Amino acid sequence: MVFITGPLYSGKRTFAQKLGGTCCFEVQKQAETTEDLEALAKILSEKYDIITATEVGGGVVPVDATERANREKAGRLACLLAARADCVVQMFCGIPTVLKGELPK
Amino acid sequence: MLTLVIGGAASGKSAYAESLTLKLPLPRYYVATMQVWDEECAKRVEKHRAMRKEKQFETIESPISIDKIRIPNRGIVLLEDLGNLTANELYDPKGAGVNTAEAVLYGVEILHKQCEHLIVVGNEVFSGGAEYADETDLYLKALAQIQNGIAARADHVCRVVCGIPVYYKGGGKV
Repeated sequence: MVFITGPLYSGKRTFAQKLGGTCCFEVQKQAETTEDLEALAKILSEKYDIITATEVGGGVVPVDATERANREKAGRLACLLAARADCVVQMFCGIPTVLKGELPK
Repeated sequence: MLTLVIGGAASGKSAYAESLTLKLPLPRYYVATMQVWDEECAKRVEKHRAMRKEKQFETIESPISIDKIRIPNRGIVLLEDLGNLTANELYDPKGAGVNTAEAVLYGVEILHKQCEHLIVVGNEVFSGGAEYADETDLYLKALAQIQNGIAARADHVCRVVCGIPVYYKGGGKV
């Protein structure tokens, strides 16, 4: 599985579609509605070739408690997916950087 | 040659972009995008203008419509910054409005054609969340479209972190 992370609107989806394979986008949203992040990471990584998540932890700590918890979950899920991934890519301004492993041929 | 220098608030992106410019031959132009609202803004603009004059920059003020700029002589142009320009185009009644991204990308292309090397300063504001209110989302989408578009065309893309340039494209031999 290839895990693609990166800031909002950094070109994650476009890059994922170029790679080809079954995709699941914006999984940080799924983190919000689960209590078991380990199980979610396992299901996602077994089901999809490519998973994308938006980095949401690079701003000021949100005042709202729910937003704070969601941000925490998004970060944790990303770590779990990155650990399971064969390849981790970070997008920046539409430019991919491979942080782990190698892109599939 | 086209270089995009991008970074967060107070990351050292401006100083780095300026240092690149100073290594290159004259003439040297600075396209300033700040909208002058009041006396305080005017004073700040005047101060910056004087500072840049010492570094042999000629300042061109253009808060919107950078495609209308005519650069007097071929040389180096430093455009700063895209975050400001995008806000001006979106919110100024005379700005490009819903066509902001296209207008700014077109303007950058026109500027690039008129100089030897265009250095553009952009803003890293996309890592603090994924869901924003409509108005903010519109701004972020436009800015991302502009910055990603310039990055795709640029010879060099550099992210400045704590004053240190990290090259994503072009390797830094500017």
